[in-house]
Amino acid sequence: MSTLTRRDFIKASTLTGGSLVLGFMIGCTPEEISATQVVNLSPAATQPPTPGPGQTATPPPPATPEPEPGFKPNAYLIIRPDGSVTVMAHRSEMGQGVNTSVSMILAEELDADWDSIRIVHAPADPVYGDQVTGGSQSISGSYDTLRVAGATARMMLIMAAADRWGVGPEDCTTEKGTVRNGDQVLTYGELASDAAALSVPQGAVIALKDPEDFTIIGTSKGLIDNPQYVNGSAIFASDMALEGMLYAVIAHSPVVGGAVVSFDASAASAVDGVEQVFGVYGGVAVLATSTWAALKGREALEITWSEGRADLSTESIRKAIEDRVTLRGEDDNTIEAVYEVPYLAHATMEPMTCVAHVQADRCDVWAPTQDRQSAKQVATSISGLPSANVFIHVPLIGGGFGRRLQSDYVSEAVEVSAKAGRPVKLFWSREDDIRNDYYHPFSFNYRRAELDTLLIRSSSSLASGLQTGAWRSVENFPEAFATNCFQDEVAARAGIDPYVLRMQSLSERQQGVLQLAAEKAGWGQPLPEGHAHGIAVHSTFGVTHVAQIAEVSIEDGVIRVHKVTCAVDCGRVINPDGVIAQMEGGIIFGMTAALYGEITIEDGQIQQSNFNNYKLLRMREAPVIDVHILETDNSPSGIGEMGVPPTAPAIANAVFALTGNPVRKLPIRLDQSS
Amino acid sequence: MERITLSINRQTYTVDVDPNSPLLWVLRDQLGLTGTKYSCGIGQCGACTVHVDGNAQRSCLISVEDAADSEITTIEGLDSPIGQALQRAWVDLNVPQCGYCQPGQIMAGAALLEENPTPTDDDIDEAMQHNLCRCGTYQRIRAAIHAVAEGAEA
Repeated sequence: MSTLTRRDFIKASTLTGGSLVLGFMIGCTPEEISATQVVNLSPAATQPPTPGPGQTATPPPPATPEPEPGFKPNAYLIIRPDGSVTVMAHRSEMGQGVNTSVSMILAEELDADWDSIRIVHAPADPVYGDQVTGGSQSISGSYDTLRVAGATARMMLIMAAADRWGVGPEDCTTEKGTVRNGDQVLTYGELASDAAALSVPQGAVIALKDPEDFTIIGTSKGLIDNPQYVNGSAIFASDMALEGMLYAVIAHSPVVGGAVVSFDASAASAVDGVEQVFGVYGGVAVLATSTWAALKGREALEITWSEGRADLSTESIRKAIEDRVTLRGEDDNTIEAVYEVPYLAHATMEPMTCVAHVQADRCDVWAPTQDRQSAKQVATSISGLPSANVFIHVPLIGGGFGRRLQSDYVSEAVEVSAKAGRPVKLFWSREDDIRNDYYHPFSFNYRRAELDTLLIRSSSSLASGLQTGAWRSVENFPEAFATNCFQDEVAARAGIDPYVLRMQSLSERQQGVLQLAAEKAGWGQPLPEGHAHGIAVHSTFGVTHVAQIAEVSIEDGVIRVHKVTCAVDCGRVINPDGVIAQMEGGIIFGMTAALYGEITIEDGQIQQSNFNNYKLLRMREAPVIDVHILETDNSPSGIGEMGVPPTAPAIANAVFALTGNPVRKLPIRLDQSS
Repeated sequence: MERITLSINRQTYTVDVDPNSPLLWVLRDQLGLTGTKYSCGIGQCGACTVHVDGNAQRSCLISVEDAADSEITTIEGLDSPIGQALQRAWVDLNVPQCGYCQPGQIMAGAALLEENPTPTDDDIDEAMQHNLCRCGTYQRIRAAIHAVAEGAEA
């Protein structure tokens, strides 16, 4: 048995590199874990009580849970004497199911009882490496680490049981949270304190399962958070309340780039419930005893803004980008086209919000962020406190889609709390959210092909104007749109079936999903009168391959999408139903962009403000979605964003098939098809 | 500020409040009933759906004063057999993704099934048209409502 101490192990691991670096990633002393545990206030602990009859509620202060005893083999797992297995979820859960899939990988190698898993959201901590939840990389980037973390814990539990029984570890087996040797059985809970006293074994001796023996990975699990989602007990940052907390809103400039010149707070301060009004970076903050009072106070503010970028308009931005795209002209053998995608908003159902409490000696931030390390840097910088005294807590998140990679709203909450000397909940209305987004860039994609060789050239140009950021699938969205629509234009000119054209040039894995989607959709088979199929395939970030076929008709001038058939190859599948759900959601997200999504600007002002003028797809418009997984033994490669890119071009190509007019601009407008 | 008495989830609450405040903010900020969500504030998304005398209503559009004479049910008090069956179906069919809109979806679905125990797809689309889901769980919501309707029939 290994006699290395944990410290030695970490030291050895860092020095030797290679797979042992993995050991360093998960190597963590119990002291380090308990330190992070103490500050990790469980969101549930801050839930306001439901008041009794006839009472008014006073939210209680957040309780700091006592560190519980338990076996903490690494930063990801705590096994408690009661048999529960706490997973320290190191990435942000925003609907993509990462709490569930991370738990499945750990539970698989640990041989845990699935029902014993509990989730605690991990703090921002270098022990987890990069915690940015973006690029659909939570699983691909953590799979090996998590497997080793689970297997290490399992091995130590086996060693503890073998010691107890006086047998060799090789005589023991594990199953559903128990170690067995013949008729002898000990639960993980019974072994937790013995295992906690053992040294963490070396990386090289950690045996991972043969994937053929997996019993959890590859089975469909519902989201582990579902029970709290359906009864309203899930606590998002929006739902938190701290003792003495004020509700804060900020008046932002109505014009892009505008700044406060002066403001009169007297009418706002006179609103019942308004307690403080002061200037902050980018606007004026109103703090009140309720969200409603804060909003009324903001309405009453009188602010003089600087002119900002009042010169900006969609047309001026389009003109500038058009000048950079040079059309060279077509002849009998060449075809060229430019594909246009507008600015798009994220429109997460939970608008940007953040709870912050800056005190003399510490700063706590409950941030629904995809980038807790950036949030920590921002909070550290604004609070002026040492990094070690700044604590980022990440609750469940009501949708991210890339918006929450930005820390603008975190910065606002920390500044407001610091200036107010109170805990605050910063609230963004939907209007704040739509008008202060980091938009998907307005982009032009140029394509040119020679018909005899089918050689395609491409280039892309992004507009400058509004602030932009990552939007679910980022550049893959306009790329897939331009590439797939152009392929259909080339196919039409060359007289080749769009499916056949693609199969000639695609990689083996792309061919696999395209063929499967075509089979399942009945590509080439007769459809009802007035219906047409459109096809698209895309490999998002080059790693996950998705083909979609949309069945579309046009009824009374309206595009109707009846069915989307989808095939996906994301390598090894952790949670099949999770993959299906992400494809379904990606398709609906892609449909909103295909049919409605468009942010426009006039006189420097964003023209959209809420769901009445920034429309999202509704249930009535949702098609039948038929998802098929093509499982391959490639490494798991991510699914959160990959369903989005093929949807708009699949619909556009069906519209092209129906009308004969190619679609070169989103959202698709029948009267704008060129 | 006025003292207003509300009947919520079969309990009586008295609150000091601006009578014009939407019911939504009183539920969330004063009574701690945070299962009812804000997302648009203009009756476009349904995240704030509650039952007012049994009908699905947007609590962002109802003033607390107007709610005073009605029996309000929020997701926290949805304990009817249909409500419970919907919550189970939502879990069984793995409907939620981010989960933020789902209390409102379930409240809308429950009001529909109380009135129409065997809805068609069109009935469901009609009843659910006020509820948005950015994660795109519409197919599963429809399937879960059907599953409860069929379960009640069997």
